[in-house]
Amino acid sequence: MTGRGAGALALLLGALGPVAARAQEAGEDGQWTMPARDYAATRYSPLAQINVANAGRLRPVWTFSTGVLGGHEGQPLVVGHTLYVVTPYPNVLYAFDLTQPDYPLKWKYRPDVDPNAVGIACCDAINRGAFYAEGKIVYNLLDGRTVAIDTATGKELWKTKIADLAQGETTPVAPFIVKRRVIVGASGGEFGIHGWVKGLDLRTGRLAWTAYNMGPDSEMLAWPGTWRSFYEKRSDLGVTTWPKDAWAHGGGPVWGWMSYDPRLDLVYYGVGNPGPYNPEQRAGDNKWTASVLARRPDNGALVWAYQFTPHDNWDYDANAEMILADLPVGGEERNVLVHFDKNGFAYTLDRATGEVLVAEPFVHVSWARRVDRSSGRPVVDSTKLTGASRGNVKDICPSLEGGKTPAAPAAYSARTGLFYVPTNNLCMDYQAVTATRIAGTPFIGANTPYHAGPGGHLGAFIAWDAARGRRVWEIEEPYPVWSGVLATAGNVVFYGTLDGWFKAADATSGRLLWKFKVGSGVVGNPIAYTGPDGKQYVAVYAGIGGDWFLLAGDVRSDDPADVRAPADFIRDIARHTSQGGMVWLFAL
Amino acid sequence: MRLLPVLLLAALAACMRGATPDQQAGLPAVRHDEHVSAGGAAPKAVRWQNPYQRDKRAADEGAKIFTAMNCDGCHGGAGAGWVGPSLADGRWRFGGADGELFQSIYYGRPHGMPAYGGLLLAPDAVWKLVTYIQSLEPPADVPTEAWQ
Repeated sequence: MTGRGAGALALLLGALGPVAARAQEAGEDGQWTMPARDYAATRYSPLAQINVANAGRLRPVWTFSTGVLGGHEGQPLVVGHTLYVVTPYPNVLYAFDLTQPDYPLKWKYRPDVDPNAVGIACCDAINRGAFYAEGKIVYNLLDGRTVAIDTATGKELWKTKIADLAQGETTPVAPFIVKRRVIVGASGGEFGIHGWVKGLDLRTGRLAWTAYNMGPDSEMLAWPGTWRSFYEKRSDLGVTTWPKDAWAHGGGPVWGWMSYDPRLDLVYYGVGNPGPYNPEQRAGDNKWTASVLARRPDNGALVWAYQFTPHDNWDYDANAEMILADLPVGGEERNVLVHFDKNGFAYTLDRATGEVLVAEPFVHVSWARRVDRSSGRPVVDSTKLTGASRGNVKDICPSLEGGKTPAAPAAYSARTGLFYVPTNNLCMDYQAVTATRIAGTPFIGANTPYHAGPGGHLGAFIAWDAARGRRVWEIEEPYPVWSGVLATAGNVVFYGTLDGWFKAADATSGRLLWKFKVGSGVVGNPIAYTGPDGKQYVAVYAGIGGDWFLLAGDVRSDDPADVRAPADFIRDIARHTSQGGMVWLFAL
Repeated sequence: MRLLPVLLLAALAACMRGATPDQQAGLPAVRHDEHVSAGGAAPKAVRWQNPYQRDKRAADEGAKIFTAMNCDGCHGGAGAGWVGPSLADGRWRFGGADGELFQSIYYGRPHGMPAYGGLLLAPDAVWKLVTYIQSLEPPADVPTEAWQ
């Protein structure tokens, strides 16, 4: 657990001087030490000072420019009374002292990151944040290395090369730490990588195991006696569901969020798209891309897997978070995993086995009619199948940005029993072409222009009942919602918008309580913490980017030699926002 | 302080002019000073001329190479910009002259532009790519984006 190191740090601070001694203990509730705050990936804060009655009085209390203009995905951490911020490339790590007036830096760490990584990262040079454990801040540099930094000194404790830029692998994902195992993955679904996760030793950074997401059972660490899939009994599915050797460069990246059930001792993560986008170059189910995998953290052993989108025709990565909850499903209390897939379906699975309990569309879906409960497979509309021989296939919903982007995680409040989900209302046409694999260059093979889904608005922030598979309320947004969500015990939920608003809503009704313009579009994830003064704070990054760096290139102004026209489907976003990179703190 | 490396580079470049130590060492015929930027000046282009200048058929072949070599994966369909910069706005980080474009493709550039010369593409195919890129017409008004 993370509490021990943080407690030791607080004790140390307490011994340092009168200012620190006056500071109140943040306590377990007041910290945010891992990306989703807890292993269940709920992004729920038990803090309740900010509530439905007073949220309208929120005001900004501090800001900091990161000096970087890339998409500010991810979230800050608060450990003891220190705020940690990781920037997009070049991946600077800042440590702010919250016990001092004006929150001066304790230290900053400026790594030497290979600039060539910028050109290998598919979708802007973003970073999804750090993880705290045992006195260390651990995070990934974009160029394929994981670093551990001593929180007391800011000094590098270890640095391990995990990924290979030359093969198209980059590492914007946040690490996940369980039982002294640092679990990391790599992006590169658009570069023909052979996707994997690796387990490192927290104390030394040494590689303990590598588990591939496709390939022979031996490489997938799918061992007889441990491995059992609810729907699939055959062996070597990571080979037999591909044309000969295609799995070896079939994508299957790991760039989303992980979760962990200590009782079952299982780590859950989603696997991204198969490559190339032209599905005719990879006949078969392409397991285990577009899937959820459950592994043992100690040795990486695969315990179960479930594929959301067999033979993905639409770039429906399954990298979105797997939120663990206990819900009454069909009159029975079940230990479930809830996942909002790019393919537009919200899945409620039994997290011990991978059995589908509920699968209903949470946005407009045209590629499949439903998910068949007995086989676990989607019932696909064959007119929406794509491929180089099929020409331009029209009006596929959702678009390949997903019904929800995996980059922006949802939150769960056990208080309301609801999930809070950022969504996109986008559809696409899909023209696949034959792609050539050239190591280190994109392996894509499709042109996919977007348009608005039904209603004409491009996004919505919704509340979802995962036990019944239905939407409870929604706030329509003019643009896709690309920020993560914070749910709180004050019954207030927080999210940001691409046009640069940070908003608070009533978790029960969806009524808007407050909003503030943060200067640049929000693609990061808000957090809550208790300051040394005992007050509740909410923190979020502003800084539009990620896919929007590519899709709405006219929000950029950082390169006079790169001037882009607005995108057809989102013509006026640059009228309301531009690049930036700010940390914002709000309080009553 | 900042002047020093520039002066050194200039001196180095002066030494190399006329001499051919590169060739003696078995290195390519392109001279070092022709693709190093010094003192803020754009790198000197190789004074090669595009043999296919404004040749429509070569541009069409270049467009096919642009897709086949995954150029569009970074620079976007029709070179409109994606994770890599736009090639259709008439603006150039490393110069838009024949030799400059050739060098960008053949030798690569910092921040992720791979070197396509040699194993992947012969000079002739690179010239066809150059011809295609030069055929992309920038819009009439690049600097201004206006709303009602």
